Amino acid sequence: MTKVKRSGALLVVLALALAAAVAGTSNASTSRSSGTLKGAGSSFVAPLVAQWQANYKSSDIQYNPIGSGGGIAAITSRTVDFGASDAPLSRDQFSACKGCVQIPWALSATSIPYNIPGLNGRLHLNAGVIADIYLGKITNWNSSRVKALNKGLSLPDLKITPVYRSDNSGTSYNFTDYLSHASAEWKSKVGIGVNANWPAGIGAPKSNGVAAAVSQTKGGVGYVDVAYALKNHLQFAAIQNKSGKWALPGLRGIKSAAALIKSVPSSGELSIVNPPKAAKYKNAYPISTFTYVILPTKTSSASELRQFVFWALTNGQQYGPKLLFVPIPKVVLVYSEKILKKVQS
Amino acid sequence: MSSIATQAARAADLRRRGRFRPGDVALHGLTLAAALAAVSLLFLIAWKVTDQALPAIHDFGLHFLTTKTWDPGTRQVFGAAAFLFGTAVTSIGALLIAGPLSIAIALFLTELAPRWLRGPVGALVEMLAAVPSVVIGLWGILVMGPVVADHVEPFLKRTFGFVPLFGGDPSIFGLLPAILVLTIMITPIVSSVSRELFLGVPRDLKEGALALGTTRWEMIRGVVFPYARSGIAAALILGLGRAVGEAIAVTQVIGGNVAIHWSLFKPGDTLASRIASQYQGASSAKQVSAIAYLAVILLCFSLLANVAAQVIVRRFAGRHPVAR
Repeated sequence: MTKVKRSGALLVVLALALAAAVAGTSNASTSRSSGTLKGAGSSFVAPLVAQWQANYKSSDIQYNPIGSGGGIAAITSRTVDFGASDAPLSRDQFSACKGCVQIPWALSATSIPYNIPGLNGRLHLNAGVIADIYLGKITNWNSSRVKALNKGLSLPDLKITPVYRSDNSGTSYNFTDYLSHASAEWKSKVGIGVNANWPAGIGAPKSNGVAAAVSQTKGGVGYVDVAYALKNHLQFAAIQNKSGKWALPGLRGIKSAAALIKSVPSSGELSIVNPPKAAKYKNAYPISTFTYVILPTKTSSASELRQFVFWALTNGQQYGPKLLFVPIPKVVLVYSEKILKKVQS
Repeated sequence: MSSIATQAARAADLRRRGRFRPGDVALHGLTLAAALAAVSLLFLIAWKVTDQALPAIHDFGLHFLTTKTWDPGTRQVFGAAAFLFGTAVTSIGALLIAGPLSIAIALFLTELAPRWLRGPVGALVEMLAAVPSVVIGLWGILVMGPVVADHVEPFLKRTFGFVPLFGGDPSIFGLLPAILVLTIMITPIVSSVSRELFLGVPRDLKEGALALGTTRWEMIRGVVFPYARSGIAAALILGLGRAVGEAIAVTQVIGGNVAIHWSLFKPGDTLASRIASQYQGASSAKQVSAIAYLAVILLCFSLLANVAAQVIVRRFAGRHPVAR
């Protein structure tokens, strides 16, 4: 009997402790902010979102950088308050998401890292050469076409191993978008997408997989977002734009490419790859991209979401340049604010 | 046996007396619910996956199994042939290495190792199974990959280069790294099951053989192997099931390429790896459905493998009641 009593008392104590703990946590969260907003998706935009998390005070922002594909899946199933993707939603994804809007909220670029041991200088590439490397038509670094772009570099006799993302990725979208604009053969054979029927090379999952593959494979070349390349000290190539200038994925090059946007189409889909030859775009880095936040138009946390995204689009942009995100142009901001109003509870 | 009989008699006695025990009823309900939940979960998964795959099954039919294109881009043509090939090559390859290796480990641990060594080594081998697959995959890229690409594959190419399997350029991503990673993942299962089987071989049989003057190897070949034969086959099938279903570690090292070729050095892909890498964020409904179709194929295979293993185990158990 005493044993039963004792365990009963223990239970009561446990229950009290649990109640106190629950009360404690709820107190803590209410005193800190008005609520929590959960997001998931693009790893590309993750460094910037991390800055926003640290500096945005009105809500607690949780962000899980599981990749653009994962972000789209998460917002489609409404397990998060917002999704983030570097690739615009496809038609099927829009209809599956049932009442979602996509808002361009940040702007950066994709870099082309490479691994050529002992190369005496930075590699220079252009769209035609990159396309033919990924089509499997240029297979050695000492090819005359690579040499023609790299006078003064002693390019070794080394097999080229192009590396692509094996998972669905916004970075792949940006990269294939660029190659489709620059190469007719790429456009007809492969096309644009978060994934493709890659004609050559090896696939690796996520940015870190691509980075590992490039750095572990002599003669490897790949593509990752520039913030990731910088953070991991990857050597990346200078790319020739349509004006014939060599551009690096820096603030100036990205900003110049973004000048391509004169108006925003109703889908919200923006492409700024390979800007044409013009004085305005002479510094443009040709593999630049917008990245999007995906919001449900009907949600219980509408006002917190609107407030956060509005802040990110305006005040939040100041944290970008340090991470090589260019503040979004005015015309895009005006559009984004307009679409943001569609998010209602 | 007798204790079970007395228990049953006591239970029947209690029932006759009609004594109602709420605890027993709750336990019965709880366990029944758990069992039903597991079974219904299996059916729900099968139904959901098949439901998602229906558009692709309708579009591509059985032709899906022989189409080797996977184009999520402009053409939107999908087929499983390349992944079926990749799955077969990697899992059979892994089994060919892991099978003899595991049996050797199990033999060493049961028959040959000094007694003090058996416990620690056995535990360590089993612990290999506890390493998360993503960690093995990462290790595969960063540690094993360079060794394979710089030493193992060039050696194989130099020595056996005339065999098409070992042609092509060495690379850290490819079928061979995937086979090696899978080998590491299935060895613990196959070896620990085999060890249990070998331990179950009756001592008197083994000692009888030794008393007849056989060597240790002859005893193993003549007594241990025949006794455990079907059990080993079941263990291998379990290992095969694991190898076929493993996704993440394979994705990391196989090089995600849609191709059918005879070189183990070149990249390929498996059913599970393709599902893991492309389901999330697939851009077209057709692609989602095609991936679900891959999942249906994988599910069918896993069920078949499990059923086969169980059939073999049952036969084995029937023949040697002592071992179970």
